[in-house]
Amino acid sequence: MSYLNALRLHFAGRFQANVSTVNNDPAHFHNAAFLPGYQDMQTSQAPNGWFNPQGDAAWRLLGCRVTSAWMPAGAVGPGDPVLEAIVADSDRRPPAKLVDLDSEQQLVSEIWGLQVRIATADGTTLMAGDFEPAPFIDIWDRSTGGTDDAAAGAMYQSVLTRLEWADVSSSVFLTALKQAAANGVLSIKFNVDSFNMDFTSPDFMTGRIAGTIGPASRSDPRHLVIGRQFMATAAPNGNFFTPAGGINFCAGVVDAAAGRIYLDLGNALTTGANGAINDQGDLTLTVSGAPTSPADGALPAAPIGTIPSTGPAGYSSDPEWYARTAGVVVLPISAPLLPRVQSSPLTLSGKAGVTISEWSSGAFVRADRFVYRLSPGDRATIPVYAMQWGRPLGNAGLAFQLDPSQLQTQVGEPGPNSPYVAPSPPVATPPAALAFSGSATTNGDGAAPLTIDARDPGKPRWFKNGHDYGIDGQVYGIRPGFSNSAEYSGPDNQWNFVSVLLWSGFTPGDPVTWADVQPIFQQYANVYPVMNRFLNLADYDSVVANTWLLQLAFGLDPADPNAMPVTRDLSPARRQAILSWLKNPLPGAAAVPKAASLARDTAPKAPPAVVTRGGKSAAAARRLVLQTRKGASS
Amino acid sequence: MIRLQRSMIEGLKGDAITPQSVCGSLQKAIELEHATIPIYLYALYSLDPDLNGEIVRILESVVVEEMLHMTLAANVLNALGGSPRIDRPGFIPTYPGPLPGGVQSDLTVSLAPFSSQQLDTFLQIEEPEHPLNIKAAALPDGTITIGDFYKAISDAIAVLGQGAFVNPPRHQVGPDLMRESVIVIAVPSAQQAIRTIIDQGEGTSKSPEEIVGGDYAHYYRFMQIKKGHLLVPAPGNDPPWAYAGAPIVVNRDGVYDLSLASTYPESSPQAFANDNFNYTYTSLLASLHALFNGDATAAQFNRAIGLMMSLKGQAKAMAEGIPNPAVIIGPSFEYQPVNPKA
Repeated sequence: MSYLNALRLHFAGRFQANVSTVNNDPAHFHNAAFLPGYQDMQTSQAPNGWFNPQGDAAWRLLGCRVTSAWMPAGAVGPGDPVLEAIVADSDRRPPAKLVDLDSEQQLVSEIWGLQVRIATADGTTLMAGDFEPAPFIDIWDRSTGGTDDAAAGAMYQSVLTRLEWADVSSSVFLTALKQAAANGVLSIKFNVDSFNMDFTSPDFMTGRIAGTIGPASRSDPRHLVIGRQFMATAAPNGNFFTPAGGINFCAGVVDAAAGRIYLDLGNALTTGANGAINDQGDLTLTVSGAPTSPADGALPAAPIGTIPSTGPAGYSSDPEWYARTAGVVVLPISAPLLPRVQSSPLTLSGKAGVTISEWSSGAFVRADRFVYRLSPGDRATIPVYAMQWGRPLGNAGLAFQLDPSQLQTQVGEPGPNSPYVAPSPPVATPPAALAFSGSATTNGDGAAPLTIDARDPGKPRWFKNGHDYGIDGQVYGIRPGFSNSAEYSGPDNQWNFVSVLLWSGFTPGDPVTWADVQPIFQQYANVYPVMNRFLNLADYDSVVANTWLLQLAFGLDPADPNAMPVTRDLSPARRQAILSWLKNPLPGAAAVPKAASLARDTAPKAPPAVVTRGGKSAAAARRLVLQTRKGASS
Repeated sequence: MIRLQRSMIEGLKGDAITPQSVCGSLQKAIELEHATIPIYLYALYSLDPDLNGEIVRILESVVVEEMLHMTLAANVLNALGGSPRIDRPGFIPTYPGPLPGGVQSDLTVSLAPFSSQQLDTFLQIEEPEHPLNIKAAALPDGTITIGDFYKAISDAIAVLGQGAFVNPPRHQVGPDLMRESVIVIAVPSAQQAIRTIIDQGEGTSKSPEEIVGGDYAHYYRFMQIKKGHLLVPAPGNDPPWAYAGAPIVVNRDGVYDLSLASTYPESSPQAFANDNFNYTYTSLLASLHALFNGDATAAQFNRAIGLMMSLKGQAKAMAEGIPNPAVIIGPSFEYQPVNPKA
């Protein structure tokens, strides 16, 4: 059970993702080569610290309103106060944070420390729940013709826990939602797009959001719909991902008892540059004529229903359609078709060339959570779910393999127009540092564990052949699949893999001194200039003057929005060393040079010209799969 | 010296004294202590700490003690069975305007960058009735000082006696969370809490030094900036102190000429930054409300600290012209429970 349910509300508005961009270039982690200019805004001449070097990572919900609400009997009527409600973030905690896993895996950015509230229009909380940290998935070139961040779309799916409810008895809908959430959990999914990178705009570092909240089951995956999975084929061009059939990866859920299918097209329909949904013709959902048993002959494909593009409530003609539905459509399934729907692949198609289908096997496999941080000696047991025709697929053989293809690196010197200042350290090496079984078999719930034993990768990402302090640990990708690829086949989803940041072992001196922790602090001071508003993390005296505050911030749970480091990339071993040092901040050997001040030049500066390049699109263009392709062709 | 309306102590005299009337005065005290913080912070945000470090240190130290005073007043209020009300629209005064309880014609406080005029306002807020070495001004009829106000509360608590205190003690924010705080359980601890507020704000009639805290009282702390020198002991003088320490020079290059963010149009980048700040500020009030109303835990205290740090970071970005150096602004400190402003 998930948000894709008869009981659900939709909301829409804007979000802010005020990420810092200095750490977008892995070479900026090279302390010995870091230049103060890397903290400045980019100009038309120099990439500097890219388009938002002073970002504070805040992730906010802005002006989001409930746009519609649904119950099994249909749309919630205008008398229900839920339709006047807003969806907001916490009104008693600092803003949530958006965090890249790593400088070389920027395409699974997670939201940490978010509380989601349903509130009255004046801000009074009706329901509050903690958003379980989750990364985006299915990033694609949503706005047709564009390949930069502004043209990108992506989605987040997670759950809300630690639910707190106010008196919601005046709302029939919220009363029903509260009852459905008696298990203490709600499901939430939202789509993000139309990101703004113009620093002179009031919308800078914000974008559009539209989403859905509904019930969740404790036993179901938290970031994945057990349902019908529509699989897109990659078009040859594009940056993040361009679906050849014009429709992106999406999911549906068949409610057999009610004779309906819920389709989530929220991150699947392309837009124009203005954000309006493109007209791709009326979208018709059909069920194939594949024989249900060897004895049957193939039947002609049968239409289930149509989603109109034009007319009063058409998905492209009605400017409110997307906000009102968050892209979720419900189609009735006629009783005679239902058995066939439950055992044959579905296809959604529009005008010529617009189409997306399930695999002919109706099967799909994915890890629920797909971003992990591990230390040497850790064992991660990662639940992976197989499904077929929208139901758990038991006794299925799964295969797991290392796949670094979507990680981002820079093979060779960057070109003259590249924003990157130097080649990047290699990714996914040494491969042996992650030990895992190559296969598993799903249980009756369709679940199987991917068990990883982490070993110390050494220092594969230090600079100058391991001489200079660099990026901690290593990033890896592990892709799940079916071992029987003949039976289970179809276009793969490039984003369907588990990303792992594996930290290096770390043994500080005893006692821990400034010499142990200075390089760590120096790197944060370099790539996260917002810290300069509070202290100079690279300077012994400045750090010592703030030990109380640093002990507090480094001691917080990473799920706390105020936890340091904001980047959530500090290994437990290093954190322990820092906390130990903060209790007794010994200067250590005098050999550590006093850091050059990175304080901002206080003289008034002329504003730089607006340059909106860079961002995730630059990272996507450096994925290993493209680098090796480029390398092979040159 | 700031003059308060005599009505502020009407419930603190003779037969009028009830637990409710004293609680009402303590609520006003919390509002008054809070009301100075935005104006001090605004001045603080306008200063470059690299160029005006000593002034930044003085302002920061005063702000921290104003927060302590809010906490102490809340502790006394809770000890008498009251409930501090912080998370509500009227809690933040309108700037420019009088301080809560202040005499309208007396002093108007504004959100403004650091300046000699603003410094004079700070001195006026913190000035004792009888500042050392300074001839006392006669109070116009019908007004009282902040010191009078607190002394009246303290006396009224003595009249109420031990019977007015809730047993067991409730909702106290102790020194484990807030250094120098006082857990209020009875008349003596209540009076000790109030004495700390008076002493840190005004000093005593004998000495500018705080009894609790180890710095000078706020008035003398600010006066160092006006005199251009740190206050240091001067044995032989009467009283034995002099503004003769290291010089404090206001570096004008290190004062940003912030314009108030709320003067920009609704759909401007400045309004966007201001809305985010005000939403966080309102969240801080909600967090403090929870802290002072039964959730006096380290977790809640840390949340409040986290919100203060978030505010500092946001305000500094606004003051430094981030992301657009063409415009530098200061936040308007308005109650805003939805974001953006409805």
